[in-house]
Amino acid sequence: MPAENPSEAAIRDWCVEYLARTLDLPGHAIDPETTFARLGLDSANSVFLIVELEDWLGLELTPDLLFEHPTICELAGHLAGRAGR
Amino acid sequence: MRCEFSSLVDVLRRRAAEQPNDPAYIFLPDRGAEPLSLSFAELYASARTVAMRLVERGQKGDRAVLLFSPGLDFIVAFFACLLAGVIAVPMMVPRRASSRDASAAILADCSPRFAMTRCDLLTGARPDLKDRFRTAPLDWVFVDSRIAACGEPQNLLPVPGRDDIALLQYTSGSTSAPKGVVVSHGNLIENSEMIRNVFGNTRKSTHVSWVPLYHDMGLILNVLQSFYVGALCVLLAPVSFMQRPLSWLRAIHDYRAEVAGGPNFAFDLCVRRHRPEAIQGIDLSCWKVAFNGAEPVRANTIDRFASTFAPYGFDAKSIQPAYGMAEATLLISADRRGGGPVTRRISRDALQRNQIVAPRSAQDAQILVGCGRQLVGERLAIVDPEARMPLGPGLVGEVWVAGPHVSQGYWHNPEATASVFRVRTASGGAQYWLRTGDLGFLDEDGELYITGRIKDLIIIRGINHYPQDIEETVQDCHAALRRHCGAAFSVPDQNDEEQLVVVQEVERTFRRQIATEEIIASIREAIVREHEVAAREIVLIHTGSLPKTTSGKIQRHLTRQMFLAGSLSLA
Repeated sequence: MPAENPSEAAIRDWCVEYLARTLDLPGHAIDPETTFARLGLDSANSVFLIVELEDWLGLELTPDLLFEHPTICELAGHLAGRAGR
Repeated sequence: MRCEFSSLVDVLRRRAAEQPNDPAYIFLPDRGAEPLSLSFAELYASARTVAMRLVERGQKGDRAVLLFSPGLDFIVAFFACLLAGVIAVPMMVPRRASSRDASAAILADCSPRFAMTRCDLLTGARPDLKDRFRTAPLDWVFVDSRIAACGEPQNLLPVPGRDDIALLQYTSGSTSAPKGVVVSHGNLIENSEMIRNVFGNTRKSTHVSWVPLYHDMGLILNVLQSFYVGALCVLLAPVSFMQRPLSWLRAIHDYRAEVAGGPNFAFDLCVRRHRPEAIQGIDLSCWKVAFNGAEPVRANTIDRFASTFAPYGFDAKSIQPAYGMAEATLLISADRRGGGPVTRRISRDALQRNQIVAPRSAQDAQILVGCGRQLVGERLAIVDPEARMPLGPGLVGEVWVAGPHVSQGYWHNPEATASVFRVRTASGGAQYWLRTGDLGFLDEDGELYITGRIKDLIIIRGINHYPQDIEETVQDCHAALRRHCGAAFSVPDQNDEEQLVVVQEVERTFRRQIATEEIIASIREAIVREHEVAAREIVLIHTGSLPKTTSGKIQRHLTRQMFLAGSLSLA
């Protein structure tokens, strides 16, 4: 079941936790202000992140989203705005 | 057996005449939008219209780069080139963020007259492309698969000869020095016939593919093979597959496809993202040839895939490990339809010394997957790469190939052509062979096993990466990173998937002042930006500690062994 309008902070925390798991890094190594590229997210892993977010939030997202919102903070801000609508 | 067609142009005319209204291609857009389709007659008409434009504006033998997002437009452009006698150069659309991909070097290497694309890619999604290619004098040709067919002056179109060049496949060579494999009309028709023969394809052999069309597997083994036998090919965008791999299986069910395949990782991805509720009611019993190639084929992958999808009617015997490369048009070895994968338990330890013996213990056991046998019309040999002597069954050597599907060489590169395509064995004979750069052996039944690589090449998710390119990207990140003192290679992770590792020397004078974490993050970022791969580990080591030969050549194999053994001298 999709989540009920999670807050910006909740989306941010979810992304940090997901990326730490995917990239095999400790959570504190994932700075939400750092670009996805700098965290080492390649195109395949970007697509997987988008898919997981779609499932969780119940939104349709495009792979270009990480290009337009290149950090966890910016992405969370954008998604919280959309999910709340 | 001799092929009944002289070229794919011949095939196109015949299909348009004999089965004009049969669907040749269907593209499934993401999220259930209306599929696009092209019948054989429509394909011929559209391709002819575009071909006439090429003939009016250029001449036979001109090159045309093909820059398309997923869809049917690429296919129309490709056949238009074949009809017009223009050499097609399929290219990946350069990523927005990358500054140093191979596109500029490919343009410089093949000096194309035309760049073919869809109008809306250039004006809408990617206006940066025109700017990126502004230094090349390109004549842009816009192609839309729904283009209106023009009149009939088709007799202006040349008839291709067997030795005329059909396409250049830029899958070899580094980013800065790419090598275009010259594929002739004869090569295409011969390899298409070999593929048809070994997979037993017929007009009923519907294909479903998501592999990019600029990738030789996407083009030759899917789009051109289905066309060659007069069957339908259903296409998905690569990103649709990455997002929803089960949509590939869904399409195989929907269209009752017989043939669908991809690199090894594609099968792993389906298993990893398998959700029973997402593919309820699916019946995969129609799937007869699930080919697996373009990266090493793993026994684990095959087992997991077969057991996960057996409840949906998937037959493990349809899995067809295959081996090939652009230098031989595409396919070099495969087993006949229905044969199922062949595996062999050997000693991991002995394999390190290139010996094939039974394992000494359970820990020592490694399972190799056979990549099929020599194709009809081809010669396959295992040769000692130093002595150039052919080796018998069970002995590891370099894989050499000869046959009518082997390319005449690299575009305008006589040196590389001579060393790769014009080699002879020391045992005599005038036969020229293709050196694949891959190591392997043949068993008593003629089954080919690939065991390693002589050439330095990293394959991740079916895409070739040259270590030199990645090393250069790394060394550009910071002044503390020593030039020509790094090594990039891959190691398998716990899921047996290849992961990129970078080992790089740090300048002694910088040792006390550098912020290691910062540099590693910069390296990580640059590798993603330029090469689209995530580096699993980045290791900084002491000045002068990277293994090199006495002549100063980087020893990537030895560096890899030291990395695995934990014996590098960490900075």
